[in-house]
Amino acid sequence: MTAADPFSLAGKRILVTGASSGIGRQIAVTCAQMGAQLVVSGRNTERLAATLAELEGDGHAPIAADLSRQEDIDRLAADAGTVDGLVHAAGISKLAPFRLISRAQLDEQFSSNVYAPMLLTKGLLAKKRIANGGSILFISALASHVGPLATGVYSASKAALLGAMRTLALEVVKQGIRANCIAPGYVRTPMLEGLNQGGGSIGEHAKLTPLGLGEPEDVAHAAVFYLSDASRWVTRNYFIVDGGLTVPMDIYA
Amino acid sequence: MSNPAQKAFSLEGKTILVTGASSGLGREIALACARRGARIVITGRDASRLRETHEQLAGTGHVRVTADLTSAEDRERLVQACGNIDGLVLCFGGQMLSPIRQLKEELMTAMYRTHFLAPVMLTQRLLQTNSINKQGSIVFMLSTAAHIGTRGVGPYSAMKSGLLGIIRCLAIELAPRKVRVNGISPSVVPTPQLWGEDNEQNEPLNKERARHPLGLGTPQDVGNGAVYLLADASRWVTGTTLVMDGGAVL
Repeated sequence: MTAADPFSLAGKRILVTGASSGIGRQIAVTCAQMGAQLVVSGRNTERLAATLAELEGDGHAPIAADLSRQEDIDRLAADAGTVDGLVHAAGISKLAPFRLISRAQLDEQFSSNVYAPMLLTKGLLAKKRIANGGSILFISALASHVGPLATGVYSASKAALLGAMRTLALEVVKQGIRANCIAPGYVRTPMLEGLNQGGGSIGEHAKLTPLGLGEPEDVAHAAVFYLSDASRWVTRNYFIVDGGLTVPMDIYA
Repeated sequence: MSNPAQKAFSLEGKTILVTGASSGLGREIALACARRGARIVITGRDASRLRETHEQLAGTGHVRVTADLTSAEDRERLVQACGNIDGLVLCFGGQMLSPIRQLKEELMTAMYRTHFLAPVMLTQRLLQTNSINKQGSIVFMLSTAAHIGTRGVGPYSAMKSGLLGIIRCLAIELAPRKVRVNGISPSVVPTPQLWGEDNEQNEPLNKERARHPLGLGTPQDVGNGAVYLLADASRWVTGTTLVMDGGAVL
């Protein structure tokens, strides 16, 4: 590929949160294959080191952080350096029927899924650590549109990202920075396996999805598009990557 | 192509049919796909402009078929000429404005034949002749007009919205063959055919520019969106639309 390849990430420095597993891990691996230099962040230092070992190319850096803690968010924003891309892939999902939800559950999931990406973005912007022409990408979830049973807290947190992204995109456009959301459907990840142990079934999710269960690579490839210059003109946008799961549902009503 | 990610964004080994390739977005999409290694079949009404596109395509083995896709005979000739394809981009079109109150049946019929019937029936023939390979990708060129209301744009808006229905149903019908079906909805891309010369006097264009936080798009931007939807990188994306609008606000 030539340097003029619009999909190349060569010369770009990209910070990925949640990079110790699942979608975040794959986004880091794929971005490195496209030429980017990665800063990978996650809670588990061992798994983070495993991700780091898989990254093609040189100059990548790990920063262990628990983004439910403000001091860790501050430290990550301070230590990450200037980035051209920022991917908020860290997140948690816990099921509870509405009549059983508690303030503690709301605090926990909103802290990881909403406060962390918003406050990390704020921290980097305040220090002018997102380069002009940079791209900010939030990994939401189809739960933002669909709302399966017992996902009241999780769905609300993922939907919140859409609103945050739209106003952020307007505020940073003067620096040529873009902000977008990807909403993935059911992807083969440790998070989905965790949900299955809580009573779901991966087979059922795969059957519901016209193109079958997704792989982390499918979301990572969409992330490459949104991080590269190929999407130079795309901002304030959310993109559904779900193997057709929502095609038979009226999710816009 | 050395690693899996780069392969996923390559079009090498794929044959892609692009309609409306004699100018504007269709031409740029054909050029972008050829640069990424695809073999291209281009079609358009204007033989000399289609030849210009053909001459600009990178690589070899490309084919051009001059055709008016509102004609069933021309569609049939195209289907026979193009053989098996991995990608189909339906760009053929042309804008006609009319407030509904002044709408003439002739104009509405022309819009229907050009923007709806032609792409849908071409797709139908390609499917019936088994011309679209497994794991192929079909991309309908829509417009933000498919999603938003704008004064005077009713006939165009309606046809583009209509294609959203085709995209969703066809995505379900073709999923067992792993063929995916999506749209691209660009906002204003100032091609000279549609918008005239882009200068200070072009008031409609400058008004549009003002409501797009990232400014107006280029045909290259839309070409890159099409490349993503045609490449294996998007193999799990179906029944949806890539909106490309520079963050437009109303």
